[in-house]
Amino acid sequence: MEQLLTGNVASSMYWLGRYLERIEGTLYEINKAYDSIIDVDKKAGVTLYQKFNIDLKYVSSIDFLDKSIRGDHEANLATLMQNARENAIISRANIDKSSFGEIIALNELFQSIQKSPTYIDYNDIDQALSLINEIWGSHAHRGHRKCSDYFLKLGKLVEEVDFRLRFDRGIDMTETILTEINTAVQILNPELDLFAECSRENKENGYGDIMHCIHRIIDKLIIED
Amino acid sequence: MLEKTTDLHRRFWDIFAQQDRQKISEFQTYMDKFAVNFNLYKDGNFIEQSLPFDIIPRIIPKQEFSKMEKGLIQRVTALNLFLEDLYTDAKIVKEGIIPQEFVDSASGYLKEFVGFSPSKKVRTHINGIDLVKDSADDEWVILEDNLRVPSGASYPLSIRDTYRKIYPDFFENLKIEPIKNYPKIITDAMEYVNTGGINVVLTPGRFNSAYYEHSYLAEEIGAQLVRAHELVVIDKKVYFKNYNGKKILVGSIYKRLDDEFIDPKFFNPESLIGVPGLIEAYLAGNVALMNAVGNGVSDDKGIYYFVPKMIEYYLGETPILKNAPTYIPYFKEDMDYVMKNMEKLVIKDVAEAGGYGVLFGHSMTQQQIKDLKTMVKAEPRRFIAQELIEFYDEKCYLNNKLEDRKADFRAYVVMGEDVKVWNCGLTRYALEAGNYLVNSSQGGGFKDTWVMEL
Repeated sequence: MEQLLTGNVASSMYWLGRYLERIEGTLYEINKAYDSIIDVDKKAGVTLYQKFNIDLKYVSSIDFLDKSIRGDHEANLATLMQNARENAIISRANIDKSSFGEIIALNELFQSIQKSPTYIDYNDIDQALSLINEIWGSHAHRGHRKCSDYFLKLGKLVEEVDFRLRFDRGIDMTETILTEINTAVQILNPELDLFAECSRENKENGYGDIMHCIHRIIDKLIIED
Repeated sequence: MLEKTTDLHRRFWDIFAQQDRQKISEFQTYMDKFAVNFNLYKDGNFIEQSLPFDIIPRIIPKQEFSKMEKGLIQRVTALNLFLEDLYTDAKIVKEGIIPQEFVDSASGYLKEFVGFSPSKKVRTHINGIDLVKDSADDEWVILEDNLRVPSGASYPLSIRDTYRKIYPDFFENLKIEPIKNYPKIITDAMEYVNTGGINVVLTPGRFNSAYYEHSYLAEEIGAQLVRAHELVVIDKKVYFKNYNGKKILVGSIYKRLDDEFIDPKFFNPESLIGVPGLIEAYLAGNVALMNAVGNGVSDDKGIYYFVPKMIEYYLGETPILKNAPTYIPYFKEDMDYVMKNMEKLVIKDVAEAGGYGVLFGHSMTQQQIKDLKTMVKAEPRRFIAQELIEFYDEKCYLNNKLEDRKADFRAYVVMGEDVKVWNCGLTRYALEAGNYLVNSSQGGGFKDTWVMEL
């Protein structure tokens, strides 16, 4: 399956998928940690952010929400969302029109949260999650019409694997997702094979190097110079 | 001053009166949501902003538009013949219709291209001709020809789509010409000159003021949007670099950057947004560039003065559309007139565009007039002077009330196998009442243009 697409657009679609999935995954985890911090485990937020290699400090559940979403660190969601928006603008010709509109709206929401003088409203998280669901929904509804759709899907799946590895989630589902990734890769370039790239030893090593393998295969899939 | 109200206007206002005005805010929501932007650099900062928009359309009766259409086809045909002649035989210069010195000193004239004819001898592929409607005689007057990289067509296309969704009553009950054919007109023109290969739109990149338009048009015309480094020239042929490493031959490039930046090997070596070797491929006839390189000469406001003469010279016809009365201080008689009447004239720097370099004598102090006279005398070729045209205002719905604003009209004229005028255009209105500058870069807004009949 071949489509005319610059490496820049292919890469932007891939990263759009990754950023959106990262934001969604992070919001779900923040939700869980927030609930726990209230009356179960005050350090749930610290544990969560250690997974992202971030040392997060907070004094209350509300403060956790605030620091996690708009704190000065690499997982700041307003920054992630701005990156997602940039990638959407570059690849807008290849994404569903309503998905594009929702991405812009989602960015507006995060930028307003970032600038708000008051603490974050919990409803904002719900609203953000529902916008992300709409984006995925619109994209899925579009169906698979062009190969460029697979770049977005690929980004989403790769980010899912990244999350699963960080959170030590069940290997069976991770393997299923890896198979899906390989299917998408082979649709885009039949000569590539994730499992050939990532030797069986990796499996036995608990997928320690799987993200490196994925990055290598993406570099072979999207040739930018 | 407003144009006389016609039955077409009355029909519009009748329907407007029945509409829910709360819905007007939905237009802005749309513009924001779909990033219909016109970007600016201010104080070194990149600012993304939506272009101000007004919901009251400019209405042009179909009969009136048809006359304008004939005049525009005539003008662009003559301009294309002029450019082809100028860069090949230059008969118009040899026969003394346009002084050689005038051509040589035009900043957009590129001597290096003398002797070269582009694909199918088409040079003026996509043109934006700026007009105003003179309240003195109700006639459309040409203010400017933009034959290099005219922008703006995507804005009325985008907003018309929204208009139809928010206020369908107008489109159900009025005979408004549909406008969705614009991308097809462009595609046909690209295909006509295509030298064999795919069509692409070349953008300077994400941070260009008109990036939204580049992206929108590329999608609509089914061409790939590319930045310079996504094209490569091998053996005088241009290739598109696909994501998988394959190289696909390019036959036609709709370029959205100025000539001087298009090829660092040929023009400005500092250009980071050009394609090295592109001009070599172009001169070898292996790729079509839209618009042709070297068209800048006809955007020169000094050359504008000669367009009516070009129409007579090349077509043997009387111009259907008038130029604004123009004086070029290069000629002694005109210089004398300009010196005596500067207070009532509009003085324009010939090489500027976008509303820059435009001075209104009536709003200048005596000292400023004196200084300007000195400048004009020192560099007569650098300036033109025009009579101030009292062009019509358009009704605009601003801050929940109707207000009058000066408005011009940019018509889009596309040349492929034949010349076509898009039955819409960009109506631009001034930010403040009484202001004559309507350009987007001067803060002006835009409105839809409806070509209508009863």
